[in-house]
Amino acid sequence: MPETEQAQELQQIDDVLDSDYKAGFVTDIEADTFLPGLSEQTVRDISRIKGEPEFLLEWRLKAYRHWLTLETPKWAHVHYPEIDYQSISYYSSPKQNKDGPKSLDEVDPELLRTYEKLGVPLDERARLAGVAVDAVFDSVSVANTFQDKLAEDGILFMPFSKAVHQHPELIKKYLGSVVPYRDNFYAALNSAVFSDGSFVYIPKGTRCPMELSTYFRINAANTGQFERTLIIADDDAYVSYLEGCTAPMRDENQLHAAVVELVAHDRAEIKYSTVQNWYPGDKNGVGGIFNFVTKRAACRGESSKVSWTQVETGSAITWKYPSIILQGDNSVGEFYSIAVTNNMQQADTGTKMIHLGKNTSSTIIAKGISAGRSQNSYRGLVRIGANAENARNHTECDSLLMGDQCGAHTFPYIEVKNPTAQIEHEASTSKISEDQLFYCKQRGLDVEDAVSMIVNGFCKQVMRQLPMEFAVEAQNLLGLSLEGSVG
Amino acid sequence: MPKSKRLTELATPFASVVVELEQETSFVKELRGNALAQFNSYGLPAKKEEDWKYTSLWGFSQQQFSHQAIPHTVSQAQTEQLALLKQAYRVVIVDGVFSNELSQIDNLPTGLTVSSLAEGLASVQSHLGGQINIEKAGFNALNTMLMNDGVVITVAKGINIEQPIELLVINSGATENLATHLRNVIVLEENSQVTVIEHYVGLSDIQYLTNVVTEVVLAKSAELTHYKLQQESENAFHIATLAASQAAHSQWKTNSISLGAKLARNDVHTQLLGEQAHVVMDGLYLLNNKQHSDFHTRIDHAVPNTTSEELFKGVIDDKGHGVFNGKVIVHKDAQKTDSNQQNHNLLLSRNCEIDSKPELEIYADDVKCAHGSTVGQMNEDHLFFLRTRGLDEVSARNLLTYAFAVEVLERIPAGDIRKALSAVVEQRLPQGGQ
Repeated sequence: MPETEQAQELQQIDDVLDSDYKAGFVTDIEADTFLPGLSEQTVRDISRIKGEPEFLLEWRLKAYRHWLTLETPKWAHVHYPEIDYQSISYYSSPKQNKDGPKSLDEVDPELLRTYEKLGVPLDERARLAGVAVDAVFDSVSVANTFQDKLAEDGILFMPFSKAVHQHPELIKKYLGSVVPYRDNFYAALNSAVFSDGSFVYIPKGTRCPMELSTYFRINAANTGQFERTLIIADDDAYVSYLEGCTAPMRDENQLHAAVVELVAHDRAEIKYSTVQNWYPGDKNGVGGIFNFVTKRAACRGESSKVSWTQVETGSAITWKYPSIILQGDNSVGEFYSIAVTNNMQQADTGTKMIHLGKNTSSTIIAKGISAGRSQNSYRGLVRIGANAENARNHTECDSLLMGDQCGAHTFPYIEVKNPTAQIEHEASTSKISEDQLFYCKQRGLDVEDAVSMIVNGFCKQVMRQLPMEFAVEAQNLLGLSLEGSVG
Repeated sequence: MPKSKRLTELATPFASVVVELEQETSFVKELRGNALAQFNSYGLPAKKEEDWKYTSLWGFSQQQFSHQAIPHTVSQAQTEQLALLKQAYRVVIVDGVFSNELSQIDNLPTGLTVSSLAEGLASVQSHLGGQINIEKAGFNALNTMLMNDGVVITVAKGINIEQPIELLVINSGATENLATHLRNVIVLEENSQVTVIEHYVGLSDIQYLTNVVTEVVLAKSAELTHYKLQQESENAFHIATLAASQAAHSQWKTNSISLGAKLARNDVHTQLLGEQAHVVMDGLYLLNNKQHSDFHTRIDHAVPNTTSEELFKGVIDDKGHGVFNGKVIVHKDAQKTDSNQQNHNLLLSRNCEIDSKPELEIYADDVKCAHGSTVGQMNEDHLFFLRTRGLDEVSARNLLTYAFAVEVLERIPAGDIRKALSAVVEQRLPQGGQ
């Protein structure tokens, strides 16, 4: 198809699409993009462009060869057309000065405006908000803030590709140590073609003085985004990491297969919060992001703690199970989740808590809200190994149904091999009661506000786990996502 | 899905067995033919199938089963002793064959028929195979292919049968590795009521297979109270499907108590097809040694205004392995469904294992559904309290274990059946009845 015709068609589709999606814009900058297709050569090219050391290329190739032997997983409660992995472009980087930007002034102004629209506090506001942003724009990180400030404490917070050059020993030691490339179909794919991501290392006894945050954006159309994040908290370290996502509107399904690895050593604590509001597709399920993410944390050290908090409102399909391996004695795992699906969205999300160490405990609070014709599933695993003495788990998953066309499902797996374990799982499903609505209306609230209030109350347990900056955004998001689903 | 090679090989000896009932109709012949085709293409379930994730048929696949029973010597006096209830219509099946001499069904009240599968089939033929799925369900297909006997119970419209019916299924131990494939059909017409107890007993410690399918059809406002007591020999394989369909206002109360067998797999399923249909699905599994028990339950809320209650409890000791998979499905438009499912497990030893998976699939919005699952050990404080009251360690543990299990028994209406089942459970407690 000639380029102009294609552009025209895309334009037409864009016009038709719902205008509700506030982050739906495409930044018009020149991108250095690979032709679609995936082969061993693609993997080599990615590695070459990024000037990676030999060990990383080898690792990518091993992952690629393993990926070839795998089949797409079919067990999740989601339906979507087969993905053609040859029609995806595996690398895209914004055009930049050869030397790379040294300060914000050198950064492409078009790019900065994009962040502004998204509300990324990249310039002065960043300092006021106390947030350091390693903004990933498509595949190459373009700017880092507060590097110096963090460096004073010995904290490493940088794009993954930079870390590969500056700290290859850390990458070599930790990459794939939590999510091996053999883990699953999408993890293998990511390991082979990952473009960039964030790398964080908190040295011994250090408390990271600010919330670290990264914005991932999928920008160039048709470019799958394969992020790789690695966070290491050494003994007695603490870090809180925020991840927020928006993506511009496009009618073709875009694949996102990220991998996040967290490692917590003795007495370290990592708090990882996500707000995900990628384009969910329009009312008829056209377009939207396929979000197939592997997130896993290892509580390696004794008394370490990892906490996942997520607010999932976007994506056409979400397939995501942030997990925690509780290896160290007395380690603690937490999972707080809100998953909202509307229109034709499908979400299959939950967590895995693998108890291996003694006196380990985990808490799972999952809130699912389904509206429209969406399908929302909680799928979780709690496994108590034979040597995990006195393990403790408490799971609550509640679903709220809005509309008679949607579905809410719960698939919890509980596997216990140690008699000293105490496991509780409870789940409930209900709709917003007429009585609650009536009461709110009687007090003068209109239906939308009443629903919003009830939903926020339903989600409160999870909301209060979010850092301040996110909590406000997340509450607005909930309201936005459910607009028009009641009444 | 590619089936596992060894399980396909296993299928061959079964596939060569030929079974025919007396005066078998073409309808039944056709059922068998379809089942054979299904069985040949899917074989027995492999562990990678989600429904068999925690139950391995490896040990089972190593056996050569016999379909030829050697004559047994079970006497009337023995059945008297084995029976759970003294006051009941009693149907006795020994080594897979309906026994007229041992059964006590001579003076049945009007409206109640109890007969062998071959005899009773004509009256319930339209329901045969209607409650179960034979596609990709190896044991159901196998049962349909090879069903050789069983019991047919029908209750006519408006009849209320006071006295319970006990179906006593005995393995005499005369034949090594005997495989029996029983098919029971229970049909209740409108407004009728009856109580049925399925009771499986093994008299020896030999290995054998009981593969049973019980189909239940409840017409409008019918009420079936159903118990299943499984006391197979410690080396037996017990594979059972219990499947019902319920019309409007019908009530099914079923309680499965699983005590015996080396490997027991129970699939309990009901479809609530009419408004105001109600089901109570309970179960209790007590496991020790290397016993493996797997309960898969499924409740389909297909229409609005149906309700279900489910409670399964497990006490697992030694190297026992318990599996519970409960599925509640609320279909589209099944508004006002009210469903509650609970699974609680007590682990008593270092080497036992429990895998619990309570599932909810909901496609309607105006519903109230909840489920809960717990796994735990004996509460040390409770134990301490009893010790301070002068109980020795063993008695105290026994008492607490019984207290845990008794919740399931207490849901049975007070009377002879509850008393008899409680006594059986007490005997089977880890430290023995005291």
